[in-house]
Amino acid sequence: MSGTARLSDLAVQIGTGPRWAMVRTHFGIQAFGINAYVADEAGGQVISEHDELGERAGQHEELYFVADGHATFTVNGDEIDAPAGTFVFVRDPAAKRSAIAREAGTAVLIAGGKPGEAFTQSPWERNAPALAHWGTGDYEKAVEEFEKLRAETPDDAAVLYNLACAESLTGKRQDALDHLKRSVELDATFRDLAEKDSDFGAIREDPAFVSAIAGQPDSGGSSS
Amino acid sequence: MNEKAYEVAHIDDLDRFPVDNDELLWRPVRRKLGITAFGTNAYTAEKGHERVVEEHYERDGAEELYFVATGRATFTLGDEELDAPAGTFVYAEPGTKRGALAAEPNTTVVAFGAKRGVPHEISGWEEIFVAFGHLNNGHEDEGRKAITAAIAARPNEWPGHFNAACFESLTGNREATFEHLRRAIELDPKAAEAAQTDSDFDWLRDDPEFPA
Repeated sequence: MSGTARLSDLAVQIGTGPRWAMVRTHFGIQAFGINAYVADEAGGQVISEHDELGERAGQHEELYFVADGHATFTVNGDEIDAPAGTFVFVRDPAAKRSAIAREAGTAVLIAGGKPGEAFTQSPWERNAPALAHWGTGDYEKAVEEFEKLRAETPDDAAVLYNLACAESLTGKRQDALDHLKRSVELDATFRDLAEKDSDFGAIREDPAFVSAIAGQPDSGGSSS
Repeated sequence: MNEKAYEVAHIDDLDRFPVDNDELLWRPVRRKLGITAFGTNAYTAEKGHERVVEEHYERDGAEELYFVATGRATFTLGDEELDAPAGTFVYAEPGTKRGALAAEPNTTVVAFGAKRGVPHEISGWEEIFVAFGHLNNGHEDEGRKAITAAIAARPNEWPGHFNAACFESLTGNREATFEHLRRAIELDPKAAEAAQTDSDFDWLRDDPEFPA
């Protein structure tokens, strides 16, 4: 329903990386994608590298808007200086894009949609409502919601990864290890993410953690 | 087709088109960058007390999200009045009254919008607004190019021809005005009704050849 919110209030820290403001999910917008990311430190990634072609992506054309601070974008290897007020529009879904914050507090909005088609949620964004519990610290609730998503799509590596994060944060060691292992088996990119992800702080020293991630990452994030 | 993979523009590089009787400074983003999947525009109030979002309802079904990029605005959303400093999102469902006045100099609001459940269609009004924006900025030739493009995009719809008639009337071109107006009326008789009260035609209304 109609309403208002401040970007600074919506941005939630989930694991490592920039804070994520789930703008579309918050307002229940159904006609276009919109999210925002905030990097609290200079040098931090504000948009993780991605394209819009993977199985979790929406094949969107994406419009980035630097709302605050100063970023450097990289699109297909080209560096783009992007102070506050810059729009970067990436029309090619195959283009690799990412951005680094040059100032603390750099905030980037991303709007997206697939040309010629009615908007539908990108598969990765199914995770958003459960990830929103990182904002309140109610990880038990997050586990519950990720379990529901897992029942719907047992082999979705992003859902398994996020479930493992929530389980680690609620002390469910074995469940976290099992789901992390399965996630990495399905998608090796989750291995790198797990190595740095603070959500696994409680189990990182466990020898079983190393073997769990030996087999493959990304919340799929930084997208519209 | 060999389109670039990406485009870049700073908000300061966007056109500044006075629209809505010069009450609103429209800064086209979608048009500048070639976005096709959703609408995006910016609006700027330079002095700090003028309108920065037109009061309207989007009754035809577009969802709109506004983001206050710089300055501060006072939004109307339904029956509520909301203070919106830079960094505020305001979401308006279709049919909800929305509008905003700037509360500080150099207030810029970026608007995103599209309709649910259908592919995004670029509004036929966009080029018409561009045409009158150029005219208001003293660039008649640029304006005429835009109005010609608006007609070419929708040759069988009356609003393009009607607005071309307004444009030609405002620029003192009697013959061209009548030609466009006749075509608009041919396509839809409601153009005649609109022409009878539109002040753009005041200087021509008593002309014996005025078509409406």
